[in-house]
Amino acid sequence: MNDLDQLKELLFGAEKEALDSIAERMDRRDVRTVDVADILPEAIHKSHRKDDELVESLTEPVGECLQRAFRDDPETYGDALYPVMGPAIRKSIMHALRNFSQQINEAVEHSFSAKGLKWRMQASRAGVPFGEYVLQKTMRYRVEQAYLISRENGLLVDHVHHQASKIKDSDAVSAMFTAIQDFVKESFSPDRTGRLESADMGEFTLWAVHGPHALLVCVIRGVPPKNLRAELSAILERIHFRYGDAVRDYKGDTSSVPDVKDELERCLRFEAREERSDNETKRRGPPAWLIIGLLLLAAVAIFLGLRNWFYSQQLQDLDAVLATTPGIYVTELERDGGDFSVRGLRDPLARSVADVAANVDIPADRISVSMQPFQSLQPDIIAARAAQVFGQAESVTFSVVDETLSVTGDAPWSWRQRLQSRFSSLAGVESLDLSGLTSNDRTAFAEYVSSLDKRQFFFRNGVDFVEGNEDELRAHAEKLRTLNDDAANFDYTIAVTVAGSTDASGDAAVNAVLAGRRAALAADILALSGLDAGTSGKPEAGLVAGQPQEDVRKRYVQVNLELESSVETP
Amino acid sequence: MTPVTSKVCVVGDFAVGKTSVIERFVNNQFSGKYLSTVGVKIDTKEIEFPDLGVAHKLVIWDVAGSDEFGHTEFAYLRGASGYIFVADGTRQATLAVVEHLHGQITQKYGPAPFVLLVNKRDLVSDWSVSDDYLDALTKAYGNVYRTSAKTGDDVEDAITRLAELIVDNDIQGS
Repeated sequence: MNDLDQLKELLFGAEKEALDSIAERMDRRDVRTVDVADILPEAIHKSHRKDDELVESLTEPVGECLQRAFRDDPETYGDALYPVMGPAIRKSIMHALRNFSQQINEAVEHSFSAKGLKWRMQASRAGVPFGEYVLQKTMRYRVEQAYLISRENGLLVDHVHHQASKIKDSDAVSAMFTAIQDFVKESFSPDRTGRLESADMGEFTLWAVHGPHALLVCVIRGVPPKNLRAELSAILERIHFRYGDAVRDYKGDTSSVPDVKDELERCLRFEAREERSDNETKRRGPPAWLIIGLLLLAAVAIFLGLRNWFYSQQLQDLDAVLATTPGIYVTELERDGGDFSVRGLRDPLARSVADVAANVDIPADRISVSMQPFQSLQPDIIAARAAQVFGQAESVTFSVVDETLSVTGDAPWSWRQRLQSRFSSLAGVESLDLSGLTSNDRTAFAEYVSSLDKRQFFFRNGVDFVEGNEDELRAHAEKLRTLNDDAANFDYTIAVTVAGSTDASGDAAVNAVLAGRRAALAADILALSGLDAGTSGKPEAGLVAGQPQEDVRKRYVQVNLELESSVETP
Repeated sequence: MTPVTSKVCVVGDFAVGKTSVIERFVNNQFSGKYLSTVGVKIDTKEIEFPDLGVAHKLVIWDVAGSDEFGHTEFAYLRGASGYIFVADGTRQATLAVVEHLHGQITQKYGPAPFVLLVNKRDLVSDWSVSDDYLDALTKAYGNVYRTSAKTGDDVEDAITRLAELIVDNDIQGS
């Protein structure tokens, strides 16, 4: 050491040591690291309080760090975040469910049952949306058993159950569930990430809630509400929070997870039952209004069914009766409820459709008719048409068989003649049968003519009429002339002959001549009335001996009438 | 007495008598049809160790017989505390299968206590495995038992031994 150095030592010894020390600290990385670590928290704190520069500087590198860490080891971070993420996700889902229940609320808010109003008031008091309250009230379920199972080895960590529940060896159940879970995952989940989360077995539902190290399997009787899963997840999260490592490393030693049973017991508290009525008997059966409603419904259904059946029967009856009604041809027959509509053809002479429908008890206001007119050749309609053409007033009956029009009854001879001359104009009629038709007017005429036959007019002597008899003959002749005119109307001709007669007194030859003269005289008188009469004379013969020969009763002329028909009559 | 539960898997080739071997000494819980449907059947067996103050309950996974394990079988073995390997003394090939499976399992899940049951001791006339080979196996693996599911010979001893091994292993591990 020279003098200068000694002088420096004397003057700046302490400072030099300090400088050396500083230089050494600056050279040594580990020392500097310790120094920085010493002041770093405070420096960060002060910098953060001062302004946002630190945050801005760290945002990018920290973000990258996190991204890389999550990418490289997602499982670890997933497990670490599980207790945080679970509640956050659940909160979000609860919010969504609340909105959903709000929609239900709106949907059912117009229901006004007594229970609905009561629940509405209770929901209002509890500050819960009505839909959510209804869900709570109507769900019936109970958590019967809960298994906490190690995911690593399927060993049962703990198990709780209601006293009434029948329990198998819970360790074996736990292991078998894990085996089936593995089996399902391996068999049906291509990437083996799927999980068996629920299973239904009759009245039981089995729910599995999965955590990072354990799964919570609950056996639930009835229908659990969806939000129960969130509640169970919360319990499992709490178990992970309290016993995370112990559950992860669980090897079958129950002492490593003390008091986990208390946590599991909370699962059994979840239950909801339908409200019970005070009246137990009332609860057993369905409510009276339901029974009455169902009965009314059934009655209405039966009534409607029977009415429908009745209307169907009426339709069939109407169809049948229309098919057999002459002059009606149906092209379309329909039913709409109890109303009927008929379309087709109808002869104007046929019965009206409404009239026919009335026969099967279908009133006119339930049937609509649309019929086009046509001429039917059915026998009944032809007969009706004949009656219409030739006059229904006569006491005759028309019938048609095999195109033959038969007429029975009685009608004037002139009507009969008109019928005979015009029947062929009827469509569908080829021949006429009048064997059953009589004409009383013609018969009466013939009888009247007959009553005038063989009238005798007497002579006093020779060709002198007994007084008055000649006038009678003239009157008779006038009557016969009128009859002769009328006879043509009945297709009759009247042949008049006159026969003279004498008594037996006197010479027979003279008598014969006299008889002839008397006849001729009478014929002349008849001829005056326009009658052409044949004559003949005859003397009285066959006298009886001893009797008076003169007899005024034999001295006469007799006018004979013979009626001849110009047509063939039955 | 502290209750301890362990998962034990029974592994071996087809028809070596795995199910028969353990059936006599366990609490049957489930129908045998699970073996053919799901591929595994669960039974339990409680063994007490008064000296240690431990009641050891074995949850025994009887895995369907196979000479090569797939994903499903390996999934069943996950987390097992011990294994019961079973071979058929009348078919030496089944011992080779056991060795192969043991290797596979150890490779996948690490070493674990096990016992080897060479079964069908009652069919000694048909026995095809030499004593020398068995001695060699005993030296290599330890805990090799000649058992008979029919008579029950040595089965309970083997299972009890496995329970001990598991307890010892757990004590050492902790």
